[in-house]
Amino acid sequence: MARRKGIVETHSYRTFLIVAAFIFILPIWARPIPGEALHMDIVNLMVLTGIYACAVLGLNLLLGYAGQISLGHAAFFGIGAYTTAILCTRFTWFPTWLGVILGASLAGAIGWLVGKPVLRLKGNYLAMATLGLGEIAFILFSQLKGLTGGTVGMLNIPPLSIFGLKFDTDIKFYYLVWAIVLVIMLLTINLVLSRVGRGLRALHSSEVAADAMGVNTGSYRVKVFVWSAVLAGLGGALFAHFQLYINPESFTFALSILFVTMVVVGGMGDIWGGLVGVVALTFLPSIIQVFPEWIPGIPESLTNFSNYALVLYGLLLIIFMIFLPKGLSYGMERGVAAGRRSAKLLLDRIRAHD
Amino acid sequence: MNESILEVEEVTKLFGGLAALDDVSFSVEAGEIKAVIGPNGAGKTTLFNVLTGVYRPNSGRVILKGKNIIGSRPDQITAMGMIRTFQTVELFEGMTVLENTMVGCHSRSKYGFLSNSLRIPRAMREERRIFEEAMQILTDVGIETRASDEGMNLAYGQQRMLEFARALASQPEILLLDEPAAGLNPYETGELSNLISKLRDRGLTIIIVEHDMGLVMGISNDIVVLDYGEVIARGTPDVIKNDPKVIEAYLGIGTE
Repeated sequence: MARRKGIVETHSYRTFLIVAAFIFILPIWARPIPGEALHMDIVNLMVLTGIYACAVLGLNLLLGYAGQISLGHAAFFGIGAYTTAILCTRFTWFPTWLGVILGASLAGAIGWLVGKPVLRLKGNYLAMATLGLGEIAFILFSQLKGLTGGTVGMLNIPPLSIFGLKFDTDIKFYYLVWAIVLVIMLLTINLVLSRVGRGLRALHSSEVAADAMGVNTGSYRVKVFVWSAVLAGLGGALFAHFQLYINPESFTFALSILFVTMVVVGGMGDIWGGLVGVVALTFLPSIIQVFPEWIPGIPESLTNFSNYALVLYGLLLIIFMIFLPKGLSYGMERGVAAGRRSAKLLLDRIRAHD
Repeated sequence: MNESILEVEEVTKLFGGLAALDDVSFSVEAGEIKAVIGPNGAGKTTLFNVLTGVYRPNSGRVILKGKNIIGSRPDQITAMGMIRTFQTVELFEGMTVLENTMVGCHSRSKYGFLSNSLRIPRAMREERRIFEEAMQILTDVGIETRASDEGMNLAYGQQRMLEFARALASQPEILLLDEPAAGLNPYETGELSNLISKLRDRGLTIIIVEHDMGLVMGISNDIVVLDYGEVIARGTPDVIKNDPKVIEAYLGIGTE
């Protein structure tokens, strides 16, 4: 058994190394894809993927491991973004990296304030409460005009610079974001393989039994919620310094749903799955955008992804919940295993035939 | 005999106007096997829920090792050395036999989110210890060969054993068993009876709620009989068997 457990662990860390190596070399051969129809800037999209991955890694801990739903994580993403945007545009001397840290911290602090009372609720009630949080945050972003610039948003956010090193190109930002994501990833793997990870999964499965076995479920719920808020805030702050422009439209209900969809599509309670979900759904709009251009006479409204994004996310949620509740990565694993089995069967038959 | 390790004093628990527990008092001595019996709806499971901090009683006190535990959280009571099993098996879904058991070590381990995320050496040593203790307990209970299987995939009797293992992983002083023989065949019940006796011999105090009279009469030192939330009798198995009130309320046809 000691050996077996060892294998499970090294398996996780080996995957980590492979992913890290892949991310390191990706920009070297991933030039923007030329051609009329499919114009995808992979590095640019991967930056966005990394930014979303911060939030989704946290949400996966909350939703996939601890089993607590949040339909309002766009609020924390937005709080992170606005905090650093406001600080860095008001005070031009303000260090941008400090803005990012404060953005993540404020998101965590608000997560704690909200989470304390709200996490006593379960299931549908928790979903409702977090939904409300998302809506309140959106309204505040739009209405606190003096602070946030209202619906117009905030312009001229300075690019991120850390000790004189300016992250003002896609490729520089790419390496920065993914270094951060990989660190979070490593922390998350460590966490889920530990007693805390087991406690969270126990809480997911049976709260009464987890309580009885000595897991302080109340405290675990708040801590994992706050941590997920911090990570969403961090993602949001990076988003602000990457786009250099934010407005409330970036932090709507659709974003909260996008995060949940990423977790579900990738695989709840599966760190690597979460990452697969983020990649798939961040690239999806660019891929889908191509098709309407091929169909002549298609209405203008269908060429804009944001017009039907929510419909698509909803559909994906339904389809995955029914057919692939364990997510894309599990489905791929199963597919590969099935492929291997049938290939082996075929080989055996051929051999038997000989 | 020994000093009392658990005192239940005048505990009353009302649901609406109905008293699920009505002024219940009894004491449990260290190292004994105490059985709580009574017809369905007598308040036995409610009693367990009060003892383990799931319900707060309307009045009364529960003194565990000299400390009143009313108002303590379930996990705090577990950390004080009293742990329960469930009437319906409550294993953790999607977790292996080993992982289920490792969760039982929770109250005796302390490193949290930060230490484990950073894999600090002390937290890693603790993980190692949890792993080894859990394996040892699985060996004791006799299901170590299934350690890497999912808990939910075990046969029912083995699931019961796993629940036992998980509770024992907290190294409790008092073990509360809620109908542990429910759904077991006679052979498995015999095994269970041996296991309980063995645990008692190791110094564990055991409180058992059970319908299987053969098991109860065979292993317990002392019995408390509940009916409609009230204690109607208490005493050794021989006394209880011959108590007319008990025969009327519960054993009735059951006495062979």
